Amino acid sequence: MTATQDRKEAAQAGAGTRTINLIQAVTEALHEELQRDERVVLFGQDVGARGGVFMATAGLQATFGKERVFDTPLSEASIVGAAVGMAVRGLRPVAEIQFADYMGPGFDQIISQAAKIRYRSGGQFTAPLVIRTPSGGGVKGGHHHSQSPESYYAHTPGLKVVMPSTPYDAKGLLKAAIRGDDPVIFFEPKRLYRAAKGEVPDHDYTVRLGEAAIRREGTDLSLIGYGGVMPDLERAADALAAEGVGVEVIDLRSLVPWDRETVVQSVQKTGRAVLVSEAPRTANFMGEVAYVIQNEAFDSLLAPVTQVAGFDTPYPYVQDKIYLPGPNRITAACVQALNH
Amino acid sequence: MTQTSSLPIPSTPQPFTPQPIRYVAEDGTPVQDLPAAYTPERLRELHALMLRAREFDRKLITLLRQGRTTFYAQSSGMEATQVGLARSIRVGHDWVWPYYRDHTLGLAMGVPMFELISQCLGSNSDPSRGRQMPHHFAARKQHFVSISSSIASQVPPAAGNAMAQKYLGTDEITVCTFGDGATSEGDWHAGMNMAGAAHAPCLFVCENNQWAISTNLAGQTASETIHIKAKAYGMPGFYVDGNDIVAVMEVCAHAAQWVREGNGPALVECLTYRVGSHSNADADAEKNYRTREEVQEWLDRDPIVRVEKLLEHLGHPIDAEERARLISETHREVDEQVIRAEATGQPDWRIMFEDVYADLPGHLRIQAAELRAEQEGSAK
Ligand SMILES: Cc1ncc(C[n+]2csc(CCOP(=O)(O)OP(=O)(O)O)c2C)c(N)n1
Repeated sequence: MTATQDRKEAAQAGAGTRTINLIQAVTEALHEELQRDERVVLFGQDVGARGGVFMATAGLQATFGKERVFDTPLSEASIVGAAVGMAVRGLRPVAEIQFADYMGPGFDQIISQAAKIRYRSGGQFTAPLVIRTPSGGGVKGGHHHSQSPESYYAHTPGLKVVMPSTPYDAKGLLKAAIRGDDPVIFFEPKRLYRAAKGEVPDHDYTVRLGEAAIRREGTDLSLIGYGGVMPDLERAADALAAEGVGVEVIDLRSLVPWDRETVVQSVQKTGRAVLVSEAPRTANFMGEVAYVIQNEAFDSLLAPVTQVAGFDTPYPYVQDKIYLPGPNRITAACVQALNH
Repeated sequence: MTQTSSLPIPSTPQPFTPQPIRYVAEDGTPVQDLPAAYTPERLRELHALMLRAREFDRKLITLLRQGRTTFYAQSSGMEATQVGLARSIRVGHDWVWPYYRDHTLGLAMGVPMFELISQCLGSNSDPSRGRQMPHHFAARKQHFVSISSSIASQVPPAAGNAMAQKYLGTDEITVCTFGDGATSEGDWHAGMNMAGAAHAPCLFVCENNQWAISTNLAGQTASETIHIKAKAYGMPGFYVDGNDIVAVMEVCAHAAQWVREGNGPALVECLTYRVGSHSNADADAEKNYRTREEVQEWLDRDPIVRVEKLLEHLGHPIDAEERARLISETHREVDEQVIRAEATGQPDWRIMFEDVYADLPGHLRIQAAELRAEQEGSAK
């Protein structure tokens, strides 16, 4: 799906589009899915009366009742483990973990149970569930409220891993994740909750997992990212456009599965790739993207594939902004690739 | 600390006692004989410590509103629990694995206010070097181990700390604190079980303030109290009125002694209340999930007021002037320490790469050089 398609899709609804922010998109998706399918249940710490730490579930308990939207004890292992059990028994659980940093205590349930039950049972038992969690930095949260752990989960076969950066995608991808038959880890870039605003259609729609979005087209360089860094990619592309450089901006949206075709075709066209994520550099998911590019588009490459990432340090509190790959660092990497 | 009291020291796990142990009633009258150690002078000192902590809270909330710090978790209402615990252990000798609401415990253990404030500001004078979010202290001298945001993640390490103490043959003990919500985490059960099986000298203290953000105790566990869970892990469990500083000190001191004597771990549950919001990220506690009446009920059980009433009952009232002086002294001290800490500046980018490992490995050396070039470039 391209940016143009995004807009076309939204425009099809004509008068029926609204501008909302990313967290409102999440709330709307949850609301509509709870309404659409009685098997959908929503739970986690403080999601009920309080509406979640970021208010993503505000008002849902009042509308759908305590049996469908409920608080749990403070235990991520219980939350994820229970979600697996519910899913095996036929519900569509959507669990919230307050911060991606706190998936740790539920890690074993995610990787040993949720990710493997279909495979190990020969498909007799499945766990269609969604774990939603805010992730990433830029909010002065220190290391326990800022990490980007998506690579751990992308590394585990059996899980789908998603990270939207626009309200349109957040809503459409979350709905698709809830309706899908696999366990999905749904990362929400918390610094975009209110900062990312955009149009969504009034009608029901989904965005397929595994398709990247081309945010803008260009022929000189492919700038590829996902999640919280996307606005910075756009800023870098603006800066380069002012110098006459045509940058193609791609938002992966899903890491597992990820859209190799769109990425490879783009690099075949531009000859240059700069990959951006805010997670630490070592064993960063973008290492996989770089591998596939050099494997499948080697003959087109005019410069080495470059990665801009977080540093290999725990996320620091005071240097919160320096840690993140902002537009300057991204632009510099692009310039380097262009000058190669 | 040696103390005399009539409190029985159990040699086997205690039977379930639904009523918390109490020495001083809410109106300030003793409900059982006060041990001789609680002289008016001593009570005054405890009162001063609690009041100081309360005012520290007030001032830090102001700093938050001014945008000079970004996170704060009050302990107002819980002063008797934290000060009482601090005064029941051997500071700098025993080891403490605290949780993120424990600045009052830290203050009462003698962690300098300057260090606490420096940490909250992430200034150059922060012993934790600006790495942690505010209100997550670490103080080596006091054996106050670095606070982790991740709920209950301190419990298994505390068990290990106690196992090491046993192995090394010291007479130290380990103290591990946590909220009521933390007792739902797998880590809590794992740590309790480990300490029990290893017979490790660990004193577990639950600061049961009855709410884990918006989840109350009944939503947290079907268990009537936390302390009865001790039985399952083979250790005694005590249930204490956490707003009664005498009761907290008596029970914690005795439980600590019992642990120190090699009987294995123990659990103390202090029943208290956080009268403020969970943190600054939870401004509308009353509107969202709890009633004004409930909060008022607990405001009426204020642990500081209780000591004032007790002193009055004993014929040694604290006069209003003395109280006002204590408050203004604390406010002045906080203001001074803030100015002092801010004057040290903020740690620069270099510090980001230190302390990741014992030495700076090659890949971090490269990344640090990249950032240096970028920073020097942008400084031009
Ligand atoms: C593993 C983990 N999950 C979730 C959180 C988010 N969180 C921060 S404080 C808190 C409530 C803790 O309640 P409790 O243990 O009772 O301590 P209190 O804050 O009431 O003193 C939660 C859920 C966290 N810090 N760590």
